[in-house]
Amino acid sequence: MGAVTGAPPLAAEDDLRRDRSGHLRGRTVLDRCIGWLLPLLFLVAIAPILDLVYWVASRALPTFTLSIITTNPSGAAGGLLSPIVGSLEILLLATLVAIALGFFGGLATAEYLDEETAGAIRVTANVMVGIPSIILGLFGFIVFVKYFGWGASLAAAGVTLGIFMTPYVYRATDLAYLSVPPHIREAAVGSGATPLQYLFRVATPIAFPSVLTGIFLAMAIGVGETAPILLATTPVAIPPLSLFQPASALPLYIWSGFENGLILPVAIHRAFQAAFLLLVIVVGLNVLVRIIAARSRRRLEGLFQ
Amino acid sequence: MSQPPVAGPAGGRQPLPFLARLRAGIARWWPYVPALLPLALTLAIVDSLIGASRLQNFGAGFFGFIITDYGILIFVVGSFLTSVPALVIAMLVGLGIAIASTTYLPRFLSEWLDPFVDLLAGIPSIVYGLWGFLIVAPFFGHDIFPTVAPALAWIPGFHPSFNSPSLEGTGLALGIIILTLMILPITTLLMRDALRSVPRDLWESGLALGATRWEVARHVAIPYAKRGIWGAAFLGFGRAMGETVAVYFVIDQTARLPTNIYAPTSTMASLIVSSIAQNLAGTDLHFLAEMALVLLAITLVVNVAGRWMIRRTFTDVAGL
Amino acid sequence: MTAESGAMTTPVVAVDGVSVRTRDRTILDKISLDFSARSLTAVVGPSGCGKTTFIRTLNRMAELTPGLRIQGRVLYLGQDVYDPTVNPVVVRRRMGMVFQRPTVFPASVFENAAFGLRLVRASEEEIDAAVTEALQRAGLWDEVHSHLDGPALALSGGQQQRLCIARALAVRPKVLLLDEPTSALDPAATQRVEATLQHLKEEIVVILVTHNVGQAARVSDRVAFLHSGHLVEVGATADMLERPREKLTEQFITGRFE
Ligand SMILES: Nc1ncnc2c1ncn2[C@@H]1O[C@H](COP(=O)(O)OP(=O)(O)OP(=O)(O)O)[C@@H](O)[C@H]1O
Ligand SMILES: [Mg+2]
Repeated sequence: MGAVTGAPPLAAEDDLRRDRSGHLRGRTVLDRCIGWLLPLLFLVAIAPILDLVYWVASRALPTFTLSIITTNPSGAAGGLLSPIVGSLEILLLATLVAIALGFFGGLATAEYLDEETAGAIRVTANVMVGIPSIILGLFGFIVFVKYFGWGASLAAAGVTLGIFMTPYVYRATDLAYLSVPPHIREAAVGSGATPLQYLFRVATPIAFPSVLTGIFLAMAIGVGETAPILLATTPVAIPPLSLFQPASALPLYIWSGFENGLILPVAIHRAFQAAFLLLVIVVGLNVLVRIIAARSRRRLEGLFQ
Repeated sequence: MSQPPVAGPAGGRQPLPFLARLRAGIARWWPYVPALLPLALTLAIVDSLIGASRLQNFGAGFFGFIITDYGILIFVVGSFLTSVPALVIAMLVGLGIAIASTTYLPRFLSEWLDPFVDLLAGIPSIVYGLWGFLIVAPFFGHDIFPTVAPALAWIPGFHPSFNSPSLEGTGLALGIIILTLMILPITTLLMRDALRSVPRDLWESGLALGATRWEVARHVAIPYAKRGIWGAAFLGFGRAMGETVAVYFVIDQTARLPTNIYAPTSTMASLIVSSIAQNLAGTDLHFLAEMALVLLAITLVVNVAGRWMIRRTFTDVAGL
Repeated sequence: MTAESGAMTTPVVAVDGVSVRTRDRTILDKISLDFSARSLTAVVGPSGCGKTTFIRTLNRMAELTPGLRIQGRVLYLGQDVYDPTVNPVVVRRRMGMVFQRPTVFPASVFENAAFGLRLVRASEEEIDAAVTEALQRAGLWDEVHSHLDGPALALSGGQQQRLCIARALAVRPKVLLLDEPTSALDPAATQRVEATLQHLKEEIVVILVTHNVGQAARVSDRVAFLHSGHLVEVGATADMLERPREKLTEQFITGRFE
């Protein structure tokens, strides 16, 4: 038992320290180098984010005052009130439209269609996500601004952006209901629940947090979009008083600043301040999503105990 | 197609009362109405663009005409010139990140680093545009291009037309860089998922044969994840072609082909927004709708192909 | 033949006081066991007793699992495989491993069998010869020689598992570790794999993890019984299955367990 001490020297093929192929050294070194180099590629993602956040913050914050969010723009100066209000109004309308158009489709696909049809229909929603946003903008212009005659308005912008957000809400709903564990469904149906009881009492409470996070994510994507609303409304200086008046928005404000050359320092500062507010809204929505996701995970874990 | 969960008109000799039949029909078919909305909206988009274009006057042969004779071609080329290099870089970097996070990094590190890539996807396009135009462009124009350009001038297309490349920094090169950042999340995420779907046993049996981690990634994981990687390429390409505002801000929008990599140019999407920026008279709208149709056709084809690839990967994994 | 007569020749693998621990529990507790040339040892025990962990410590696969602490020595022909100057890549080539489920790579039958040789850039002739020989030793040659270029995933489960054995054999290891290789196979395929193992034990050291006492009885010369991380008993197959010395062993082999 144990090691062979003082035994005759090992044959080359038995010696763990000798390599028969002659390539071992090179292979091991290559593996080590790649192991060090590939993680450095994360810098390609991390460095631009840090740079962007640093510059946006450093150009936005020094001249940031409360009056910026309480006054309307005037020329290149003034505040950002109407873009902020407009962005929120457009986003609210768009979210309602996206829920109306996307939620029931996702629910139907997950709960009421057979596997194969659902699979094919999912592809259509995923393909719609891939439609360039500028094309949606053109669609909104042709249909809502011109054909329906709404003109450049809050309504046209909100509905167009809502259609843009629809497939995101659809996919989130679909996934949320799909992730209700089958054994829970069987248990509910087995204990005599009607389909509607199952839907409202069992599936929806489980799926709801995921649907909500999906909606918030769609909002985070939608609030930063420029192209879908570019043609549907115009950057005006005052918040709209009705659905059919134009509403400004933070992306549109930056856009028109760029079109006017971004030469005056105050214009540059305002543009960065608008960008900063956009980042704050986007990050805020994402944080909200993480919180809800973490909470519901804890709740679901309780469900499975 | 499977049987509906509700009682159909099965077996009954005497016809069911009308109302009952109607109810059964509604219960059977209503899910299709909301579920098909995305498809219907997509078709509505196509229809509205065709309606606004002159396609119905001239028939499908019109496409050949607008592309070659009518001047769309240079924008198609411009789109490819920005998207293809951006895609190549984003695929290579993304694959590297995906391999690092699935193969080399310990769990806690990759869990900490992966969200940075996702964060890149969350930044609005217009913020990239503003940052690219006001911060990155001057930096590249003043500091990077003048030093790098002479060293690279021997590569075809990398020779600046003047002695020093544009001090503005905006142009094709910056467009490619910004586009790369914008599509990096989608390519990385999809490839990471594809590599994650490689069964642990398969990884380990490679290692158990005396392969290094790199050899397993290269010869086992990548072939296994091939479809997902192709899917990432298609979807990333679709993203790149459709990206509008950020590209418009940094490309120095000029309706001509670039003579070198520092030169201004134009893509299909950036042309559409720039026309919007100027004015939108009736004649322009025809042209924009036709351009949008070409762009839509390309993005729909690559998206359908990409989604199909990814779907196939998942069924393969499920079947294993 | 008894276990003691095996120990008189030089052991190919000698396990010397090996313990495996996680932060809060002990998975293997001071296992010592020798494996001599041309033998087939079955490692049996109830689910979760540490069989998989045990064979994974032999070829240094266990260290791939984060959070496991491995202590003690594993000697391969007298050399400690955990010595810092030993490259795990070499250890794993000398001790092949086959997993519970077939793990063929998405490539042709030939390329699967050739995988280990391609890594060291063997010549085409060498690879051809080694692949043929490995497929023959694994008892798969007759079934696949006409479609070596076909996809390996098109083979049946039993054929895939024997291809995995062939793939491990192609690099000519002296030790073959198998972790419940037939648990995903039907009886006919199981029987073919067992026949293959019967041949292999004439040439190399085979260490077979199984939870099936019948399988151990059919193919092994020696049985090692593990129970919650302890090596309870080891002995020649016939002795041990007929006259177990320990109460736990008897309970296990008579099926009064779980
Ligand atoms: N990475 C790990 N971390 C913590 N515990 C582990 C880990 N790996 C294995 N274990 C524990 O070690 C014990 C032995 O596991 P092992 O897989 O070796 O058992 P086994 O005998 O092969 O079981 P089976 O017959 O089910 O395959 C189990 O109780 C398992 O829970
Ligand atoms: Mg096991």
